[in-house]
Amino acid sequence: MKKMHIIGIIIIAVALAVVVSTISNSSTYAPFKTAIENEGSTFHVVGKLNKEKEFIYNPEVNANLFGFYLVDNEGLEKKVLYNGSKPQDFERSEQIVVVGKMDGDEFHASQILMKCPSKYNGNQQDQLKAVSGDTEAAS
Amino acid sequence: MEIQYQGEHLGFGILGNILIILSFATALLSAISYYFSFNQKSEISNSWNPLARLSFGVHAVSVFGIIFLIYYLIHGHFFEYYYIWQHSNSVLPMKYMWACLWEGQEGSFLIWTFWHVVLSFIIIKKAGTWEAPVMFTMMIIQTFLASMLLGLEFGGIKIGSNPFILLRNHADFANLPFIQMADYLSKIKDGRGLNPLLQNYWMVIHPPTLFLGFAATAIPFAYAVGGMLTGRVKEWVKPALPWSLFGILILGTGVLMGGAWAYESLSFGGFWAWDPVENASLVPWLVLVGATHVMIIFNKNGTSLHSSYILCTLSFILVLYSTFLTRSGILGDTSVHAFTDLGMKGQLLIYMVFFFVLAVFLSIKNRKLLYTQSEEDPISSREFWMFMGMLILVISAIQISITTSIPVINKLFNLKMAPPADAIDFYNSWQIPLAAVIALLMSLGLYFKWKQTDMKTMAKKLLLSFVVSLLITIGVHYYFQFDRIQLVLLLFTSTWAFISNLDYFIRVLKGNIAKSGASIAHMGIAFILLGSLIANSEKTVISQNRLNVDLGKDFPNNENILLYKGDTLPMGEYYVTYKDKIKEGIHIRYEVEYLKANHTTGQFQKEFSLFPFVQLNDRMGNVSEPSTQHFIDRDIYTHVTYAELDDKEVEKNENEGYKPGKKYQLSIGDTITTSNSLVVLQSLNKDVDKDLLMLQESDLVVAANILVMDVNKKMHQANPVFILRGSEAFNRPVEISELGLRFAFIKIIPEENKFEIEVSEKEGNAREFIIMKAIIFPYINILWVGCLLMIIGTWIAIIKRIKKLRTA
Repeated sequence: MKKMHIIGIIIIAVALAVVVSTISNSSTYAPFKTAIENEGSTFHVVGKLNKEKEFIYNPEVNANLFGFYLVDNEGLEKKVLYNGSKPQDFERSEQIVVVGKMDGDEFHASQILMKCPSKYNGNQQDQLKAVSGDTEAAS
Repeated sequence: MEIQYQGEHLGFGILGNILIILSFATALLSAISYYFSFNQKSEISNSWNPLARLSFGVHAVSVFGIIFLIYYLIHGHFFEYYYIWQHSNSVLPMKYMWACLWEGQEGSFLIWTFWHVVLSFIIIKKAGTWEAPVMFTMMIIQTFLASMLLGLEFGGIKIGSNPFILLRNHADFANLPFIQMADYLSKIKDGRGLNPLLQNYWMVIHPPTLFLGFAATAIPFAYAVGGMLTGRVKEWVKPALPWSLFGILILGTGVLMGGAWAYESLSFGGFWAWDPVENASLVPWLVLVGATHVMIIFNKNGTSLHSSYILCTLSFILVLYSTFLTRSGILGDTSVHAFTDLGMKGQLLIYMVFFFVLAVFLSIKNRKLLYTQSEEDPISSREFWMFMGMLILVISAIQISITTSIPVINKLFNLKMAPPADAIDFYNSWQIPLAAVIALLMSLGLYFKWKQTDMKTMAKKLLLSFVVSLLITIGVHYYFQFDRIQLVLLLFTSTWAFISNLDYFIRVLKGNIAKSGASIAHMGIAFILLGSLIANSEKTVISQNRLNVDLGKDFPNNENILLYKGDTLPMGEYYVTYKDKIKEGIHIRYEVEYLKANHTTGQFQKEFSLFPFVQLNDRMGNVSEPSTQHFIDRDIYTHVTYAELDDKEVEKNENEGYKPGKKYQLSIGDTITTSNSLVVLQSLNKDVDKDLLMLQESDLVVAANILVMDVNKKMHQANPVFILRGSEAFNRPVEISELGLRFAFIKIIPEENKFEIEVSEKEGNAREFIIMKAIIFPYINILWVGCLLMIIGTWIAIIKRIKKLRTA
């Protein structure tokens, strides 16, 4: 066997290892239901903020604990606790991805990803809103 | 009836559209002409070349024209054009106007096209016989890119997105009622403006650099493809080599600038977060570095031709893939800074697939020549180990690509995979060991000789640097106490890579700058690895909040600290005070003062002040930017993670605005706190001047001596009085107006020997605070020095290759 062949085999083996490790380390997008059934495992939960309910954030008591209520795509609502300060403009977010796991009846998030309207390039609705303020008189 | 719109400047749009069509048509014409030019059999006269050059010239003028026109429109605030409205506004400072140009996809395509044109000029001037085949590929690339701006629709299929579309014709506006008014333009007061994240000087220089880097990868690709097309299967490598080095230089600089931008002005606290967008430009760079190394091998001894071809074409195709990832909207949930979809997914895909198929087809067509199996490189040769290095780089690129492509894999196989929960940790667990191996190869690399190396001599030469690096590693490890073995390995190999290359430069090259490209660039990469290793693994969050309830080890929640205005808290070796909030236009700056305690005097001494700020932006959301103090051996990063933005400080009204008071029962010597001061009940005083207080001689009067210390350690006195007239008790409150405090002596409780004092605070005393995070990044300057060395080294290598090309 030639040296190059051995190298080739090693490369393929490493590439396979990469694929396997990526798959085994990857998290899953899931609704709260799955997270509750697998308490203790990490999931990515996509949902919308329940804007009716108050945030839990008392920086003067604990600056590193922020809580809110998230409604997942199946309509289930859970209290989410995040171990950091309240992200800027949290109220404005349209869609939220929380990364973490269930603990009792609460979801402990270690990461929050927010999709804010028009943070980048924008979406239609927000632009409409932005303009319609100036045009009420006209229309 | 046609509406006669008022105030529009339609001429610019017409001109712009003409230029766009022209740039597309001439790119295509030029490509076709170049194709015939190099396929022309007759040697006498090349009749196609003048046409190819002419159409390239018109193409170049159109591209410059479009860019100038958009810039002019941004500058003149012509909001009747959607792109201008969407990406700029009239309050934007001059320096950011260029950033508006490339905020949108259309503009960033333009910058990319612009660099292709500039590089093409150099090709036409310098490439000689390579002009036609290389320019042919370049012009095909330009045709694709120019089509991204066409903005045509054929039966529901959208080709490109036109930057000159009128606001009133854009899908978001066309159906709004006010758009039907002739004077609609007067209703549009201002543009949406530039994303606040991009209002940063790095964002003025980082995108053009990155796009120049992207453009630079196209040239080795064009040489490779041109070589295959013209049957010069081997000859293309030599002239392509300086270009691939140039690509390493510029793309590398661009990627690092992106890191610097993230470090200076994003809030994640670091310069590299393995974000998909960062990865998408790192991967082509890694492959290009691999390509360059095998091209050097080929230049030296004629092996590795096939690898050179694969990697050169791959790095350009990966640039296209990166464009696809960031612009198709597919990254959606996983990246914070991808573009949103403009409906060009299909077009981007065709673009990528076309060049991929072309590259594969040409390689199959020329397989006989490409695959010439020469004898294998012996294991003690430099080429063997360079090849190994390339393989490690490719493995690294594969790992990053696969993990970054999770959203693509989801789309393809209809899965619901999410990135690893701790993505950074996952990438690091792969990339740190790989980087350690790369660094090891860099330490040994130059000591191998081409063809065959005498291992004994090599070992002798390496001994000194090995011992020195080992000692340094032991020392550094003793100091930092790394907790993972892979970190120690990377520490050792990257230290060795630096020292052995330095040693090579001094003892072997005897300081000969002209030949030192590789050793200096390797020193740079070693320092980049070393700097990021130390700064990232040893960064310490000094804003530790020890008071909070611990939610368990997996859920540490103490990295942010609450700082009241005026308060001083210990952080690491510093004491930190939040001094003031300063509003300047759209910025709110928070003055955070770092102090050190002087142990001999017991006083605090100011070390420096930082001004992290929040940029207010109603439409796009407020953005807070950190501020960093740089020292030789460390950086102190300070970030306001949360602050009440509304101005809490009510107008100071002298007489009104006291909140209901709080009653305290105090003994002599007791201390209480108010929102802005410390209050001590020092003593009682029965010797009161009754006349001064206009009291009766028979009254029983007691005054409390209250000492008030404010946040600036200034002392104030308050002497509220308690009065007993017969059986009736009343009091005279006293005010310290400077502090907005009022004290009243309510009653005496003799049996407990306590005194009731009521303290009232003004509304305005509601204490203002910030939540901040402070991180020390030790020795991060090693990283930046590494960047500089990498740039210098690569530049030296380019010059050397160009000289070789001329003499050959």
